[in-house]
Amino acid sequence: MTAVLERRKALRRKDRGRRRVAALMLAPAVIHLVWWIGIPVVSTFVLAFLQYDIFAGTAEWVGFDNFARIFSDDVWNASIWHTLVYTFFTVPVAMVIAAVVAVLLNVKMRARAWYRAAFFLPHVTATVAIALVWMWMFEPRIGLFNALLEMVGVTGPAWLADPDWAMTSVIVVSIWKGIGVKMLIYLAALQSIPHELYEAADLDGASGPRKFFSITLPLLKPATFFVFVVSMIDAFQVFDQVYILTPDGGPANSTTVMTYEIYQAAFGRFDISTASAQSVVLFGFLMVLTVISRRLTGKDDSHVSS
Amino acid sequence: MSPLRTERSGRFLLHLVLGAGSLLMIVPFVWMLLSSVKNRADIAAYPPKILPTEWLWSNYPEAMGFAPFGTYFRNSLTIAVGHTALNLVVASMAGYALARIAFRGRTLIFFGVMTMMMIPTYTKIVPQYLIAKSVPFFGGNDWLGRGGTGWLDSWWALIIPGALTPFAIFLFRQFYLALPKELEEAARIDGMGEFGIFARVMTPLVKPAIATVALLTFEGSWNNFLWPLLVTTSDELRVVQVGLAAFQQAERTEWAYLMAGSALATLPMIVLFLFTQRYFVQGFATAGIK
Repeated sequence: MTAVLERRKALRRKDRGRRRVAALMLAPAVIHLVWWIGIPVVSTFVLAFLQYDIFAGTAEWVGFDNFARIFSDDVWNASIWHTLVYTFFTVPVAMVIAAVVAVLLNVKMRARAWYRAAFFLPHVTATVAIALVWMWMFEPRIGLFNALLEMVGVTGPAWLADPDWAMTSVIVVSIWKGIGVKMLIYLAALQSIPHELYEAADLDGASGPRKFFSITLPLLKPATFFVFVVSMIDAFQVFDQVYILTPDGGPANSTTVMTYEIYQAAFGRFDISTASAQSVVLFGFLMVLTVISRRLTGKDDSHVSS
Repeated sequence: MSPLRTERSGRFLLHLVLGAGSLLMIVPFVWMLLSSVKNRADIAAYPPKILPTEWLWSNYPEAMGFAPFGTYFRNSLTIAVGHTALNLVVASMAGYALARIAFRGRTLIFFGVMTMMMIPTYTKIVPQYLIAKSVPFFGGNDWLGRGGTGWLDSWWALIIPGALTPFAIFLFRQFYLALPKELEEAARIDGMGEFGIFARVMTPLVKPAIATVALLTFEGSWNNFLWPLLVTTSDELRVVQVGLAAFQQAERTEWAYLMAGSALATLPMIVLFLFTQRYFVQGFATAGIK
């Protein structure tokens, strides 16, 4: 009897020991996450409703005043429009190209790893450096693109310096950069489609296109939702290439995006309250878009990511 | 046509499309390398010459004379290695605890980590800056974090905030979860302590997770631009990406030097990627998140 009790006690002691180890192993991570993510996120939402003076250190509750003010700013409203245009063109185009490349790459063949590497390379290289290269190719007088255009008899625009073309140029760079990671997710999804499905279709005498439209495409739906949401969240937060390619919001403010306005408000003018209110609006956009796309594509996204 | 012929011409078409696409994708890299060794006349030539008339490798040391790229490089490397090491240690411990040890609140903490993975940068960056600025007793701050610059323009701000990613915790948890329970039980019967089981039995079995987290962390850190741009002002603390942007703003038309600088900033990642493709692919495919 006592022996059993002793054993139980020992077990409980061991359990307590394990829990203590777990707490110790988790502590650094939890502290870091609360410190650098938890508190900042909550602060953004609080600061959006305050009039906070970073120099005086004073704060005053102003309700929705900050939001009323930012929406009376034409440049901010334009930046929302630019962000929408940028996302609207960048995400679907890059997704279609990525899906096509992934389907083509999902065949065993020679040089496959090299093709995959070529499409993925833009993603692993620094945006700043690569944006400079595109800037050089977009150079209106001596750049590569206008020289190529002239060979076919077209006089190229001034690209990044032309208000009508600056956003297009930024979108082209972003599509090029965005194909790789989308392609990889599609490729992983394609490889997880069970082979038996195709074998069964073969037995039924299904043609290649029929298999593609009846098996491949429907089974890519969850991956498409996942890619769409992740790409949209990314696109809404585009900053590096916009900052480098078209400094100061671009010609005639034609490429200023929401993140650039937040950057300007917070770190150009040190107007923390305005920047926080703008960040909350950006967050709201992302929430709404995520919910809408979830509705549109059904709720079967849970098994893709893990 | 016989099935074999269709098969073969299909292959040919496949290689043609993928080959052309791949070439288009790497045009900017090729143009960067070619331009980086051109002389002034070649750069200004119109229409541009594809190959340089002379391969001016001296552009590289000259570009490094224009701006302290050596310092930028060392800074970027220090930060990337620091982030990688810290993320591996902290995230693997947390991932292990979440995967293998039962305790109250485990689900809640895991849910919190998942949520934080989805928080956009711009919902936290402004307060992050304010927090870095108001760390007590640093940079002339008082105990309430007022009066000075805190961690701004210091190694602390460059290394600590980026030292842990929720994604790394998530990835480690998934890998530790997949290990059989018998392993840790056997080690426990051998009288091994809980931390020993983690460090000496289980962690050697999740090497793919280690490689993936290490590479993604290194890549993210090396390519990061916004945070180092915000928190550094002095030239000695600039990282490659910020240094490159500053160099561009100062020398707008020195295209050969700019391309040499860009090549220096991108080549380490390109080489690393080509040698470790497998782990990159694995990492990006599991999450698709940077």
